[in-house]
Amino acid sequence: MMKLLSVLFKKEVLDASRDKRSVMAGLYYAIGTPIIMCLLFSVMLKQFASAEDLKITIKNPEQAPNLVQYLESKEIVHGTGEDVKDIVLEISDDFAVKMSEGRPATVTVIADKSNDKLRKSISRLERSLARYNSEVAGLRLLARGVDPTLMRAVDVQVHDQATPDSKGGMFLGIATLSIVLTLFYAAMNLAIDTSAGERERNSIALLLSHPISTLQIVLAKSGAIATFSMLGLALILVVSKFAYGMVPWEQLGFSVNLSIEFMLFCFVIGLPIALMSASLQVFVSFMAKSFKEAQTYVTMVLFVPMGLSMVTTYDIATDVVQWLPIAAQQYAMIEFIKGNDIPVAQLALSTLVTLGLFGVLSYLSSRMLKSEKVVFGL
Amino acid sequence: MISVNNLEKKIGSVKAMNNLSFTAQNGKITGLLGPNGAGKTTCLRTVFGLLKADSGNAEIDGIDVAKEPMAAKQKLGLFPDPCGLYERLTPREYIQFYAELSGMETDAAKAATQDVLSKLKMDDIADRRCQGFSQGQHMKTALAQAIVHKPTNIILDEPTRGLDVMSTRILRELLLMLKEQGHCVLFSSHVMQEVAALCDHVVVMAKGQVVAEGSPAELCERTGKESLEEAFIELIGSDEGIAA
Repeated sequence: MMKLLSVLFKKEVLDASRDKRSVMAGLYYAIGTPIIMCLLFSVMLKQFASAEDLKITIKNPEQAPNLVQYLESKEIVHGTGEDVKDIVLEISDDFAVKMSEGRPATVTVIADKSNDKLRKSISRLERSLARYNSEVAGLRLLARGVDPTLMRAVDVQVHDQATPDSKGGMFLGIATLSIVLTLFYAAMNLAIDTSAGERERNSIALLLSHPISTLQIVLAKSGAIATFSMLGLALILVVSKFAYGMVPWEQLGFSVNLSIEFMLFCFVIGLPIALMSASLQVFVSFMAKSFKEAQTYVTMVLFVPMGLSMVTTYDIATDVVQWLPIAAQQYAMIEFIKGNDIPVAQLALSTLVTLGLFGVLSYLSSRMLKSEKVVFGL
Repeated sequence: MISVNNLEKKIGSVKAMNNLSFTAQNGKITGLLGPNGAGKTTCLRTVFGLLKADSGNAEIDGIDVAKEPMAAKQKLGLFPDPCGLYERLTPREYIQFYAELSGMETDAAKAATQDVLSKLKMDDIADRRCQGFSQGQHMKTALAQAIVHKPTNIILDEPTRGLDVMSTRILRELLLMLKEQGHCVLFSSHVMQEVAALCDHVVVMAKGQVVAEGSPAELCERTGKESLEEAFIELIGSDEGIAA
């Protein structure tokens, strides 16, 4: 039994490893994804970081050198050239006079408020102007011997509870999503080739006529596919380690650092997923009559694990979902990186369910291979 | 020995096998002769356990294929139609793989593979990948796989399709040698010369039924015709589907 299984397994691995196109497709995914993610993260982090200079048109600056200086300290400056925003700050001609008399001096903001692209910049200018306003007002009160805090009836304090960890949550989610999905995408073409492809090439009948059970055939095929998935997993972990090392995390006060322990952890919890994913793809591909048909079905079916993984990534309904296979494993991976306790119960249950699915799907595939309808398409 | 007893099978609305019975003896070459669509391939697939008969059974050395498929299959060598190769493997790897699947130990399988490769004069292509093989090279590889583990019973489904004269001769010699060694050889064909030259026993099939059986000479005698071809047409009652 074991001897035949190993003969079958070796043949599958040899055959698959020579299928350069399919192997390369898997490698491209494992190498490419972390690099794309790395670029994407860098761009996103830049957006989070402090805003750039806001260049606007300031008319009559000589009337209010103080105000202009204050705005400059807030990085709002008069500019010329292409990157000047279509916002005009007009300082009235009698600004200096009114200011010195202690009467309201007029500034006019001229801009199109319906323009979405300008909205953020306009409110930034307005906020700065309001702050300047209250600062000058405070100074005036002080000069008249009045405590400026009288003007502050309510003292609003905001405690931002976001820790660097939780800010990094989404990034971690996406990073682990790409790692989990490798187990489904890295060996997809190989899985289709070894099942639907075998039918299309008319080689399945001869294989089935030999003194081996259909379950042995299915297990050997799944085993070979899982081997390549695990290879993809190892590769994406190594590439991720280096790629994420280059993302400027310091702007977030948090870093996604894939330690060796984490990589080993992923490898261990990834194995059952790889087996399940392989048996799922073999099962779906055997239902199809041709390679192309199988590609369509497999791609469709893979939306399910992707959905489960997404749900974890975006932290939706965590209480329920974290017990489901794939979602739970990914959740455990995120907790591991964060340095939190690993949800052992959820992980154990979902791993058992994953292995259970592997068993059921393998059994169903082996049943299917006994059907003459499937083998000969009768 | 292969015996087929009262096999019946309906595929869709077509009765592919209709109370089919015959026996192929050890040490003899038995030919299954019939026009296209007579049910030859269906019958052979039932013998190697890929199709289940609606009723009746097929036995290999007295073992019922449907009841003990593993034991029965161990006594079989197969050359199916169509027979897809694994194009990324070389003939040597391909043949050895099937030798091991049929239960041989790795070393024995390796030796047997080399043996059959030289016997079929395949040494020049033995370590080339099967991709892009000519029809003849393809057929030889498939044939080598069928006999590598020296099974008692060998079933070939239209083994001469696509073979050139040289390869056909090699195949013929090979089948005769297997017969000498006491193997039971059962093959299907619709090529008259082939059957006439090789077979000790001919089973003529039409519409899923055995129409007649006997040696080529007996069949000619029974129909009063000179050649097997004439006898065949007389037996099946039309000249439909004959490729000579």
